[in-house]
Formats: sequence, structure tokens, C-alpha cells
Amino acid sequence: MAAAGGEVGGACGHHAQRDVCASRAKYREGRRPRAVKVYTINLESCYLLIQGVPALGVMKELVEQFALYGAIEEYNALDEYPAEQFTEVYLIKFQKLQNARVAKKKMDERNFFGSLLHVCYAPEFETVQETREKLQDRRKYIAKATSSKAHFSKMLQEPKRTVSNNLEYDFQSPTSGFCAADTTTGNWDPSGKACFPDFYKTFHCDFSAGNIAHASGYHSQSHLAFPQCVHYSNKAYECFSYNPSVKPTVQQGGHKHASGFPALQRTFDNGIDRFMPRTTQLEERKRKRNEGNKLAIIGTNSDSNELVIGPQLPEMPKVDMEDDSLNTSVSLIRNKLQEVAASVPETLKENPQDIQTKPLVKQRRRI
Amino acid sequence: MDLGRLEYLQALVTEFQVTESSEAKEQVLANLANFAYDPKNYEYLRQLQVLDLFLDALTEDKETLVEFAIGGLCNLCLDKTNKDYILEANGVQPIINCLSSSNEETVMSAVTTLMYLTTPQSRPQITALPVVECMLRFSLSANRRLSNLAVVFLEDYCAPVQVEEARSLSKHSAVGIPLPKD
Repeated sequence: MAAAGGEVGGACGHHAQRDVCASRAKYREGRRPRAVKVYTINLESCYLLIQGVPALGVMKELVEQFALYGAIEEYNALDEYPAEQFTEVYLIKFQKLQNARVAKKKMDERNFFGSLLHVCYAPEFETVQETREKLQDRRKYIAKATSSKAHFSKMLQEPKRTVSNNLEYDFQSPTSGFCAADTTTGNWDPSGKACFPDFYKTFHCDFSAGNIAHASGYHSQSHLAFPQCVHYSNKAYECFSYNPSVKPTVQQGGHKHASGFPALQRTFDNGIDRFMPRTTQLEERKRKRNEGNKLAIIGTNSDSNELVIGPQLPEMPKVDMEDDSLNTSVSLIRNKLQEVAASVPETLKENPQDIQTKPLVKQRRRI
Repeated sequence: MDLGRLEYLQALVTEFQVTESSEAKEQVLANLANFAYDPKNYEYLRQLQVLDLFLDALTEDKETLVEFAIGGLCNLCLDKTNKDYILEANGVQPIINCLSSSNEETVMSAVTTLMYLTTPQSRPQITALPVVECMLRFSLSANRRLSNLAVVFLEDYCAPVQVEEARSLSKHSAVGIPLPKD
């Protein structure tokens, strides 16, 4: 131990838990009952003293638990430290003060193997150098926080943006695994979500085809293909609505070229929503909805003769499959869709399976 | 910007000034001192003249009030504006007086505050002989936290000559400021 000297073996006065203050005025009451105490940099430390650890040989579990809050530089049991019967006292040193701060906040008074932990800073274990650095860090922190006062409030807001941008960037890579949870958090119309699984079971093939052929290798993992469609925003809805008629042609195409599409997937922005705070998600959803509405207006204007069923039908044709045969299939589908749009009831008769899906499709449509 | 916080702090200051209950006074002062930890609050604290409130409380009879007040000063004195204000208000002497407190936290906060308040202008007062002498004694304390701080003070803020002078002086005199109780 770095700081085993001095009076370290003995209990320090400042470690005694003070009595909780019960006489606070209502407006000053915090969420948790606390003692009256002032924290200064002197009281804080990278060293945390953990009292009340049950003597069950759970050091590994304890350290694992604390390591959740940051890198631990060293840890050891303090055998000489006065402890209550059947409990042990541990010392953990975090690399960063900030991590120790969070760990203390989260772990103090937490139940650990049936006993309440008492976690406190243990600056008496610091070396002179560590104390010096701690004071210097505080100096730097304040200098940073107060020097750019003008930009300060700006800075406070901006990180949010950057973070979400970064996430977008990071998770655009084709790690489809990330989108698994997206079905629940994605910007999906609840009714659509509810009916989708069934729909998918019956028609997974044309689903992926309708989504411009996500490799059919994903067919067994419905949720992998699904969220990517979600990010197609409202376009996706359109795809789904028209899928049934599309099915026969593209299913084949999809299977044929199943392996050729990993690169294509990259362009879909998947799994982002899961990492967005809820407020950002809601904003994003609103933005997309507005966008969709805008497009719908443009769409009806340009093809005023056509019957536009969904908000974004005109967007569909833009898809380029990067493959001649697929493009042919797509244009076939597109033509078919236009036919369908012109005469919905007739097309339904053409394909027996369409009748099954009809109600589902209807539910999911947003008109 | 954040009116709610300003109002809240205002409520604390008002309660501190009007309350008859010494208990409430302590709690509120501790509240304010903890708010002084976060630079985001400095503007409000200055607006509400909390710095004066802390400085005034240094001369209170009640030890806990002094402890919380010097803790608050220790928390906010690194900010340039606050530092200038404290130095301007002749805050150094009452802080030096805190070094002779019997309360460990008060002494620790005072040492740190003095280090943070050191500027070319304030240095002569902060590293005056009695202070260096006092730090020398603290540096020999069995209290590791205190001795660490005192060593940093002596090594980083005092010239070796000053330390030598203080050392030779303390050899001759047995007088000293009593160490804080543990």
C-alpha cells in the first residue's frame, strides 16, 4: 500500500458517519436524508474506504461492483482497521477522482450481500504528491470552467449534439446486432409494431425484398432487418403497404443475390435510437414526421393525377439496387405498385396471399 | 438564465439572515458552502453577496459555522473574480486566524484556501513567518491529511529561505499554535 504509514491503521474522525439531519426546512430537504456536512476538495479523494463489507470472502465481487464506475488502480483489505463484527473494511483507489465521486455516490448505503455499505473518501491514504495533484486538478478544473464563461452555457448545450452525432457515426457501421432492441424503442407507430411480427412471419421474404433486399440471410432474424426499415422513415411504411403485390418477383431476386449486400447495409442508419435520450428521440420522431408531411405535399403536387395513398409514395422509385437484374426487378415492382395504386381491389384478387395480409396492411397504414 | 436556482439561493440567504434557530443557520450555511463547490453557481453567489456572508461567518463563535464558512470559501476561492473579491475584502487575515482552530476541517480548509489565494500581491501576507511556522508544525502532524497539505504549502508556495527561517525560529521558541484535535 502506498500510504500505509502514519496513523492510517486507526480510524479517522471524519469517517465516523454523522447523524442524519432531521430538522431541515421543507424546501431544503434533499431526496435522501443526509447529515449536515460541507464537502471541499480536501475531503474528496481517489481513495475510497468501504466499511460494512460482510466477511464472506466477497472481495472480488466488491471490486467488480466498484469497477463499474471507473478504472481501479489498487485495492486491498484493511485488516487492522476497526470494523464491526463479521464485516471487513476495504480500500479502493480509483485512477480518477471523478470516478471515485460517482462510485461513492452510487455505492454508499447500498446493500451488498445483505449488509449496508458505508463508503467514504479516504484522503489520509494519499501521498503528498497525490494531494498536490488533487489540488492542482481542482485548480485546472475551475480555470477551465470559469475562463470561458461566455462560451460556457453554449458548451453546456453543445455536448449533447456532438454526442448524438458521434453515436450516429459510430453505429452506422454494419453492426446489425445493435438494432435488435430497436423494435421497441425505434420510431415506430405502435399499431404497426403490434401487428408486425405476424405480418413478418407470413411474409418475411417480401418484407426484406420490399426493403430493397436486405440479404435474405437475415430472414430468420426478423428484428435485424426490421429496424433498418424503420429508419427509412415514412418510406418504409409505404414499402410495407405495397409489399404483398411485390412479393413474387422480388423474393426470387432477393434470394439470388442474398450474399451480395453487406455493403448496401452500411448505408442504412441502424440502431441509433436506442442510444438517444428519450427527448432526442421524440424530437427526431417529430422531425421525421414533419419531413414526411412535407414530402407528401410535394408528392401530391407533382403527381396530381395519381392517387397517393401514403405520405411518401413518390419517394420509392429512387432506390438504386446497384445491380442490373435487381433494378429490373425493382422497376417491375414499381410498375406493379402503380397498377395496384390505380386499382386496389383487383390486385388483391390476383394474389391469394394478399387477402390474408390485407387487414394487417391496413392497420399499419397511416393516412 | 436559471431563475429557479437564483431564487433558491436567495431563499437560503434570507433564511440564514432571519432565522433564530442556530441549527437552521448551520444547515443553510452548509448548503451554501456546498453550492459554492460548483462553478456554475458563482455568478449567483456573488450576486447574493454570499462571499461576504462567508467572510462574516468566519468570526462567528460557533465552531461549526466557521467550519462551513471556510469550507465555502475554499470551494469558491479559485475563481479569479472570487479570489480578487476576497483579497480585496481583506479576507486573508481571518482565514489565517482559522489555522489556530481546534476543528480539523476548519484548519484543512484554511490551508487550502490560503494556497489557492496566493498571488504575487497576496504572497507576502500568506507566507508570513508565523504562517510558515504553523505549516511546519502541521507538516509534522500525525494527521496525514493535514501533514500532506502543509508539505505542499511549504514546498510549493514558500521559498526555501522562508522555510529555513521559520525552522530556525521554531527551534528557539516553544510557543506555537496548538494542533487541531483529531
